[in-house]
This record gives sequence, C-alpha cells and structure tokens, in this order.
Amino acid sequence: MTIDTPARVAPLLAIENLHVEFALRGLDNRVRVARALNGVSLSVRPGEVAGLVGETGAGKSLTALAVLGLLRAPARITAGTMHFAGTPIDPARANVRGRDIALVPQSPHTSLDPLCRIGDQLVRMQREHQRITADEARRRARDALAEVRIPDPDRILRAWPHEVSGGMAQRALIAMAIVNQPRLIIADEPTTGLDVTVQADVLDTLRALVRTRGLALLVITHDLGIVAHYCDHVSVMFAGRIVEQGSVRAVFAQPAHPYTRALIGATPKRMHQSAATVGAGAPPDLYALPAGCAYRDRCPRAAPRCEQDPPDVPVGPLHSAQCHFAGGDT
Amino acid sequence: MTAPVLDVQGLAKHYPVAGGRIVRAVDDVSFHIAPGESVGLVGESGSGKTTVGLLVTRLVEATHGVVRFEGQSLATLPPAALRALRARLQIVFQNPWGALNPRMTIGRALEEPLVLHARLDPPGRAKRVRELADQVQLPIASLDRYPHELSGGQLQRVGIARAIANRPALVVLDEPTSSLDLSVRAGVLRLLADIRRETGLAMLFISHDLETVSQVTDRVLVMYLGRIVEAAPTRTLFASAAHPYAQVLLSASLPPDPEARLARHVLTGEIPSPTAIPAGCAFHTRCPVAVATCHATVPVRETIGADHEVACLRVANGGHRLAVRSPSPPLP
Repeated sequence: MTIDTPARVAPLLAIENLHVEFALRGLDNRVRVARALNGVSLSVRPGEVAGLVGETGAGKSLTALAVLGLLRAPARITAGTMHFAGTPIDPARANVRGRDIALVPQSPHTSLDPLCRIGDQLVRMQREHQRITADEARRRARDALAEVRIPDPDRILRAWPHEVSGGMAQRALIAMAIVNQPRLIIADEPTTGLDVTVQADVLDTLRALVRTRGLALLVITHDLGIVAHYCDHVSVMFAGRIVEQGSVRAVFAQPAHPYTRALIGATPKRMHQSAATVGAGAPPDLYALPAGCAYRDRCPRAAPRCEQDPPDVPVGPLHSAQCHFAGGDT
Repeated sequence: MTAPVLDVQGLAKHYPVAGGRIVRAVDDVSFHIAPGESVGLVGESGSGKTTVGLLVTRLVEATHGVVRFEGQSLATLPPAALRALRARLQIVFQNPWGALNPRMTIGRALEEPLVLHARLDPPGRAKRVRELADQVQLPIASLDRYPHELSGGQLQRVGIARAIANRPALVVLDEPTSSLDLSVRAGVLRLLADIRRETGLAMLFISHDLETVSQVTDRVLVMYLGRIVEAAPTRTLFASAAHPYAQVLLSASLPPDPEARLARHVLTGEIPSPTAIPAGCAFHTRCPVAVATCHATVPVRETIGADHEVACLRVANGGHRLAVRSPSPPLP
C-alpha cells in the first residue's frame, strides 16, 4: 500500500533547519533555555501521506505549530526557513493557516467551541478566510460533512458538540479542515482517544481525501501501526531532530538509526524476538542537551565520535539517517 | 483442575442516571482465573472493562453477582477480613501520575503497603523496599524522590512494586502501559513477564491494545457493552475469533509492519450508549451478519471448542464469518 514517493515532484511544504527555543524563568529567577527543535528539515509532497513519528516531547506537535504560525512566547524560532509551495511562510502573520494548510487537532471535543453549533463553526471557519455568503458557506459545510462520510449531515450541522460522539466530532473537525479547500492537512494524533473500530474509518476518510483531492497529509503520531499502513513516507523525530526519514517500506525494512531500530523493536510483537535491550530511559533533558548526538546516552553503539554532530547520511534512495554509523561503517 | 484464584459469576453493575434511566455498565459477566494465569480483558471504551476491574477488587459494590477470591465471597466478608485479603488482591491503575500521593516520597509509597499488611519491623521494611525497587528496576536513589521527579515509566514501576509488595495471588492491571511511550512500555511489559515467572502471580490484564494483550496473556475475554461476548485461549482467539465483534476488533488493529496483510472489516455506526443498550444481542445494530432473531434474543455463551466460548446466535449455524474487505488500492 505504500510506495516510494517520486522525488521529482516539488515539495508542497519544505522546512529547512528549523530551530525553536523556549526561554523560561525558573523560581530561582534564572532564565533557562529549552532547545526544543534543533534543526528540523522536513518536506511533504502533493498526493503524499507523510508520517511524523516520535515519543512524547520529541517536538512533533511543536513542528506543526511552527508551520501554522501558532508559536507564542516564550517559544521562539531562532533559525531556519519554511516554505509552502515555494513561498516563504511568515510565522508572525500566519499567512497559510486555515486557507492553504489546515489542522486536524488531537482531542476532538476540546477543539470544538462548546457554545457554537457544529454547522455555525464550519460557516465561521469559511468566512474567516474567504468572501462567501452565509448560505453558500452553509451549503459547502453540508457538502464537507457528507464528504467525510457523516451519515446524517443535516442533523450534525444543527448539533452541539456535546451531542456527538468522539468519532463524529473528529469527522466534523476533518470537515472543518477541508472546507476551505486546503492543499495540506496536518493531522496531530487524529485517532488517539478514538476506539480502534472507529480509528480505521477516520484514517480511511483522511487518506481518501488525499487520493481524491490530491492533497498532502502530514500525520503526527506515536503509533507505528498507523505509519506502517497509512503513510507513504516517514520522518522519525528524537529530541527535536529528524533522525531518520525515508519511504515507509524502506525505513521499516532497514531502519538505519539506532533509535528507529529501538522503536520498531519495542513494539510488543517484536519485543520478544529482539534480544537487544531498547535504549531505555527518559528522553533527554532539553534544558541540557549534550553536544553531538542526543541519543548517545541510550545508544548501544555510542562511540567517542558521537560527541560530534552526526551527519545526515544517505542510506538508500530517498532514505537517510543522522548517525555516524548509518553508512554501514562499523 | 485446581481451584481458581478468582471466580466471578453473574456479575452486574447498574448505575441509575438522570431521567430514571439505568446505565448497565456490566451485565451478567462470569469468568474465572486459575492460579498463575494471565487473563486479558479487552474491549472499547465504555464496554465495562474498568468497571469489572473495580468490581473484582470490590472498590465498587456489585449490583448482582458473586466474586470469589481464593474461595471467599468478597461481598459477604466482614471489613477486617476484607482488609486482610486486599494484601493478596491488588490493582495497578492506568494513570501512574494520579495513583501516587504527590507529597509522599517513593520510598514511603513503597513502604505503605508493608505497614498495612506485613508483620515487619522498620529495618525489615526498609530491606523489603530496597528489594522491591530492585525487582522493578528502580534506581535506589529514586526512593528519596517525589512522584513529580520521576518519569511515567518509573512511576508505573512504583505502582507495580506497590501492588506486588505483599506477594499477592492476583493483580488487576488496568491499562498499565497505555499512557507510556513505546520504548518505555516494552520495558514495563517485560518486567511484568519477569515478575509473573518469578512469583507465579495471576493477572487480569485490562487493555484495549490487542498487540499488547496477545503478548502477555494466556486467555482473553472480549467485552462489548458490558457483556463478555467471547472467551478463548489467546492463541485461539487471534487465530480464529468466532464472534463477529471479536473478528472486527482484531481486524482493526494495525500491526507495526507495512508488509503485514490486513483483513479489514469496517463497522457501520458507533458503539451505542450504555443507557440505551439495544434489545436482543447488543451488537446487532452494528453487526454485519445480524439476522432477525438477533434483534430479539439475547445470546448465551456456548462452548464451541477447547476453553472457547462465544455468545452469538450466528455462530451456532455457521453464518458468522465476515467477508474480507479488500484494502484500498495503492497510489497510482
């Protein structure tokens, strides 16, 4: 189901070397800096489902917020560029959010306005971003709800958020995301909190939109099962860096970064097969990131040269890893 | 057959809610757990899994039914006897951050069950606390720390250490790993397997994560809207689930392997509200193979194989197998 994405297609979203810091004043009045993103480079192409995977605190959602212009103090972009369809994204003006790039947020019920009917939220979403009559917006809202396979769109248009189930609320949010005809959808953990029998339906809906409308979809998740079966391309994040990226098939067949290997090896099915201990332990302290490879404290292969920044090593067609040993060099 | 460590018969929990309606959170649930056995309890949110865990530990009083732990009925035990019995019947909660007293050091939290149940002097308790920390691979230095200073995985190890402190016969684990990151989760699961091997305790493992359940249990109970619809040895269930709901549930899990073939069945609609459980078989509103009789008759659990029981009217006539839907086509 996954294929190698053609590299020739120009990326729709291109992030280069993005750095984000948080400067926080502690109780002792000292300012400490958390380096949350440390050179993220990521691109998403049209017609592609890209996965962004990593553990809590790796910087997945933060990357999405930066693209959408939703970072607020004390978060600060200190370096890097972001382009959408060749045009620079201005993080201060949020010139792409809502129109070209839409977000499907994580928890459906807290993301809907509880004091506003679902139909009215869909109308508001359109009139915020384009000149359109209320009647026309309402008609498009109904079409969007039907497109995300809501069985009774007229009822949902009139429903309050508390009246619908989690799966229905998430579908309404997907409808809200597509109603302005965006070219890229960022879905942040779109099915966490949904039941498995509903999860498949929501993911199918999202992927059908990519295929029928030629959209690009960036799925942020910690679930490797979703990546394996719904994504074409995957980027693995650790401590604010993309440590490995490539086609899903290549990365799962031949993971090149020790962290990716540990993640894939940590899934229950393979847990008993792999004798190698997972690099256990907490994620690194973002306030005190070591120089060089941030994974080296947990890495079974760590060597003195890991104190140097790891290079981005190509390990196959469209497949690379940030590791001194990724090239097969032992 | 050895006497079961836990024997549950006809367990039910009904909650009255506004408007005179009743939430049937758990209804007519019967099962048993043999000494040293690990039994999984799976189902979606709202299926009643957690309530079963709270009922069998008598943290919640049952509406009907009998729970026997090591032959004694929990409901009729006098309070003092119930307290004593709790040393051998323990529970680990889902959210490790909420399960520990934030103002108690980890060492004190580990000592608490020993103070309550073990006849040990302070040096004896201190020794046992260090043993427990060692057993769950907690650094000794963390004993002087407070819960907020530990990671989620470490806190869950504390929860497990507290549960096993008095060498229980049965531990109920309610989603013990679902709030943990993947690499941390693997460590906790391995720890549970080690403890089971070393101490021979029995487990009731409550989870919605079928991948995990398939790795740590001997037998699985599948719940839907408060009832057990299928009970089978883990291997049997994963190879040949019989109940249509169990088949759908298994097909919905996504193995972390892009080469794995998916047999996809998609349900129409969502799980009904437990205040309005459909008549007849509760699953008939979503079941792809339901027939007219399913709307009226509540199916009873029938044995269809070794240790394999199913509550489905269609299983009897062999019409329960679902047609496999082909996966969506790849990119052009």
